[in-house]
Amino acid sequence: MNSLLELKTAMRDERTEVKPAKRLGTNVSFDRDYGDTVGEVTASNARMVCRDVNVFYGPKQAIHGVNLDIGRNEVIALIGPSGCGKSTFIRCLNRMNDTIVGCRVTGSIQLDGQDIYDPQMDVVPLRAQIGMVFQKPNPFPKSIYENVAYGPRIHGLTQNKAELEEVVENSLRRAGLWDEVKDSLDQPGTSLSGGQQQRLCIARTIAVNPEVILMDEPCSALDPIATARIEQLIDELRMQFTIAIVTHSMQQAARVSQRTAYFHLGKLIEVGETAQVFTNPRHQLTEDYITGRFG
Amino acid sequence: MNSASSSRPITPGETLAKVKAGLPRRRAAERRFRAYGLAAIVGGLVVLAILLLDILFKGHSAFWQTRIELDVFVDPAMVAASSDERTRLMEADYSGMIRQGLGKLFPEVTERGRKRSLGALLSGGAPYELRDRVVADPALIGQTIPIWVTASPDVDMFEKGQLGAPDTDSFRLKSDQIEWLARLKQEHRLEKRFNTQFFSAGDSREPEQSGIWGAAVGSFFTLLVTLSLSLPMGIAAAIYLEEFAPRNRWTDVIEVNINNLAAVPSIVFGLLGLAVFINFFQLPRSSPLVGGLVLTLMTLPVIIIAGRSALKAVPPSIREAALGVGASSMQTVLHHVLPLALPGMLTGGIIGMARALGESAPLLMIGMVAFIVDVPGSVMDPATVLPVQIYLWADSPERAFVERTSAAILVLLAFLILMNGLAVYLRRRFERRW
Amino acid sequence: MDKPTLLLLILVLTTAGYYFGRKRSLDIVSGKVQELHSLPSYYGYYLAMWVGVPTLLLLLIWLGFEGAVLSRLVVADLPGELQGDSGERAALLINEIRNTMAGAGSGSGDPSIQAAANHYRHLQAVSDWLLSLGVIALAALGGWFGHRQIEVEQRARNKVEKGTMVFLIACSTIAIFTTVGIVLSVVFESVLFFQKVPVTDFLFGLRWSPQMAIRADQVGSSGAFGAVPLFTGTLLISFIAMVVAVPIGLMSAIYLAEYASPRVRTVAKPLLEILAGVPTVVYGFFAALTVAPYIRDLGQSLGLDVSSESALAAGLVMGVMIIPFVSSLSDDFINAVPQSLRDGAYALGATQSETIRQVIIPAALPGIVGGILLAVSRAIGETMIVVMAAGLSANLTANPLAAVTTVTTQIVTLLVGDQEFDSPKTLAAFALGLVLFLVTLMLNIAALMIVRKYREQYE
Repeated sequence: MNSLLELKTAMRDERTEVKPAKRLGTNVSFDRDYGDTVGEVTASNARMVCRDVNVFYGPKQAIHGVNLDIGRNEVIALIGPSGCGKSTFIRCLNRMNDTIVGCRVTGSIQLDGQDIYDPQMDVVPLRAQIGMVFQKPNPFPKSIYENVAYGPRIHGLTQNKAELEEVVENSLRRAGLWDEVKDSLDQPGTSLSGGQQQRLCIARTIAVNPEVILMDEPCSALDPIATARIEQLIDELRMQFTIAIVTHSMQQAARVSQRTAYFHLGKLIEVGETAQVFTNPRHQLTEDYITGRFG
Repeated sequence: MNSASSSRPITPGETLAKVKAGLPRRRAAERRFRAYGLAAIVGGLVVLAILLLDILFKGHSAFWQTRIELDVFVDPAMVAASSDERTRLMEADYSGMIRQGLGKLFPEVTERGRKRSLGALLSGGAPYELRDRVVADPALIGQTIPIWVTASPDVDMFEKGQLGAPDTDSFRLKSDQIEWLARLKQEHRLEKRFNTQFFSAGDSREPEQSGIWGAAVGSFFTLLVTLSLSLPMGIAAAIYLEEFAPRNRWTDVIEVNINNLAAVPSIVFGLLGLAVFINFFQLPRSSPLVGGLVLTLMTLPVIIIAGRSALKAVPPSIREAALGVGASSMQTVLHHVLPLALPGMLTGGIIGMARALGESAPLLMIGMVAFIVDVPGSVMDPATVLPVQIYLWADSPERAFVERTSAAILVLLAFLILMNGLAVYLRRRFERRW
Repeated sequence: MDKPTLLLLILVLTTAGYYFGRKRSLDIVSGKVQELHSLPSYYGYYLAMWVGVPTLLLLLIWLGFEGAVLSRLVVADLPGELQGDSGERAALLINEIRNTMAGAGSGSGDPSIQAAANHYRHLQAVSDWLLSLGVIALAALGGWFGHRQIEVEQRARNKVEKGTMVFLIACSTIAIFTTVGIVLSVVFESVLFFQKVPVTDFLFGLRWSPQMAIRADQVGSSGAFGAVPLFTGTLLISFIAMVVAVPIGLMSAIYLAEYASPRVRTVAKPLLEILAGVPTVVYGFFAALTVAPYIRDLGQSLGLDVSSESALAAGLVMGVMIIPFVSSLSDDFINAVPQSLRDGAYALGATQSETIRQVIIPAALPGIVGGILLAVSRAIGETMIVVMAAGLSANLTANPLAAVTTVTTQIVTLLVGDQEFDSPKTLAAFALGLVLFLVTLMLNIAALMIVRKYREQYE
């Protein structure tokens, strides 16, 4: 009894510090030094490889040395308490942080073996390859059709009007929105409900035919029914795309992802199979978070 | 995914190739667009620079005035015989004395026509300069005194190199006059000196005798009226509308009115002033009082709008705190909210005053364009203001008025920069982030 | 006493009122402040209000009507042959009498005018004396009444606050009175004008030549007041101004908002705004003495016939004046477009200019259009530039190199200088003012509505 009490107090003290104090599993293999992160940082079939990523906002460091692979055709969920840097990290993956004044990224992030922070790298084709869906639905103040057609149009993906219409229809179908909007394609995108708007944004993203889709808390502004619809959609999209999703809902992470990464105060604490992370976390902080002691 | 089979699948590689194919064209469009933006800014700034430099270039010379030194014998015989000492001094034949003084320098000029051209070297105001000296010190009578008198505008322009080429119409100096000038210069009797008259005199038909002091005093009185009316009334209106007014149709009407008045052409305010203040109330025409009233109505919307945003910036917690200790709502506003909003309101007030200082169109309507020589002594006297003086001079055909106009503009701009600088300083000094 | 002295006297009396009111309240409770309903200073303010407000009102009313009443009295006492029957003549007479009084001496030759001037001076003295008496009496009455009202249970604070509130409300209604004043003054004179010249002739007539009608008594020669050339001239110059101001203003706003580094922004933005602070008379001077001759010479060297008062010169300079106006409004609206829309476009791989042109500008368009409408209203109402740089000849032309005249130029020309208030020439200026006011009013209200709707969309 005594020792258990001691252990608990020790655990509580550790909570603020980030160190791999407690390694529960036996099947952990560390072939390389990936900092303090617990679990399988690497993926066998990696599409994106991030190594020692640090992000600074001015003098403040928001991300500390994160190493993470994102595998092909998997859904990886990034979870953690507010302000842990999960959104900052996901915005690094298609260089959306470029638009923030004073933001600086070091380390390497590769897409299919190519460093996306290479000075020679052009963000335009990069973002065509890595699409993004945001927390709040942000349809353009244009018609539904124009919203979806915008990406293919600027990138010149279609030869003629018929082809473009086909792309729009397909994208809307795959986003599960076609049946709801097929008669009102010329209505403004902002006239849709929140859940429909978010699916429109997803349709807009997949119309460009990207390889990776980043989703930054895509359901946080939606009601439960709309959320369920989007989660179902994510599951379908996994067949074709690689998806990284930031979520504050552990249940959502458990429902849609194959792998889960837990962030805490700008550090990547633990990565692993989703089932394993939620049922058998290897790091004390992860356990505290998923059992609801904070977050 | 039900219909995905119907479409030809596109691989990510194909997409990437297409995207890359379009890139050079899109990057070029990007560069072009950026260049347009930069060109617009640079263009705007270049025009600003041209405007300011043009006026500076035209106007800087007006701060110097060509003067000629004469040795004048104040001949007691030419001082009129009158019982009244003052009349005696005022009505003496100073022109004669000046003529004699000038003649002494050029004894060889005897022929009548040439004498006249010699006299034309001096300003028509030269005798008055001598008069002022003698009136100030009657002991000078009977002495020979050296005195610097103002040269004529043609000479002044010639010395400043602004008279144009010798064969054009505007070149009104004869060759012997130019010779004389060269001689005066050699004897160090011709100099360009700082033009104090420009700052101390009222308006005049003669460019070399005109100054901006009358207009400046007129502007001062006008702004005094405007400030003492528009600031308290503007602040009061802002307080009512922001702090006390219920949200209803009536306050909506007031708001639309204020916003609209802020955009009504200023000349319409001039029509209002003419019809109401001058024709209906019969207030004195051309007076700073009427000018100030018109400008008050014009700047009031600006001050109200600025005042309201200053009040809006005071956080509600201040009001709640004051109400919480039992202050009445009027005490809350006057003791706690207003002092915090006051710097913002004053900034708005100064900007409004700067606008009023530069305004001329409505003042033309109420007769402030009259030719007024005297410096006004009160808000009821006929007066003009700086911008209107600029307008009047800009209309004058004399070449010498061009530099005066530009110099007056420089003075006006200096005041405006001062006022706006003060506003910026106030804003920086008292700006609070809540 | 003259009026400035009286104003000073009122201030002194009011201050005294404050002092005595405060003292009286303290005396009543023999120094025990907590027994009073309000703080002693409120009793002071209360008494000061009773002294100051009625006297100030009297002074204002007197100031407003003295001139009119006195001149009527003087004119009524003039010998019959001078009076005539038209109001026009009376106004001229009064001017002459006033000039004589001021010693300007333009009409002092006439002994009856001289006598009238003396009479006027006498009346003025009587009026001043009466006013002084009235002010002192009112101050005493108010002071006595207020003083008597002060007692322990008197709710001085509430009354003072009520008085303050009345003042605040009165000040906020001035905007309404101003608008009403504008409407009444232009409408009243315009109606007189339209009795002499039919509205249709004014609005649709093609010939503008107001100088002729004043000489001939036959005002019916209405062809002279066709304002169409003025309208087209105004539109031509405003159009040129907008052609300059909109692209430059919009592009510089876009550059400053989207491309420029913070340092460039902090330098370039205030510099551009200097253009808005330059008085219009300066632009007029610049247009008339620098730009117009330059354009004329340039045109001559190209073999073009350019008027020295070309619409182009006035329009170009007016455009420069409006640049910062367009630019700062557009800047506001562009910055109001939420960042999430930009993110959405960037995440699709749009370049910056594609994002601006295809997402931000369409989103900000209502606001920008509202801003441009306000700018147009400003261009139409701008006076000094056109008075100084545009001509007086009412040409019906769309040629920017020719001289045209504008509504505001004509208003100034018709009203500056000696005027008789009943002549159609003077009244025409008010009719033009009415048109100007109505047009700018419609533009402003349309713009304000668009802008308000736009603001709601993104808040």
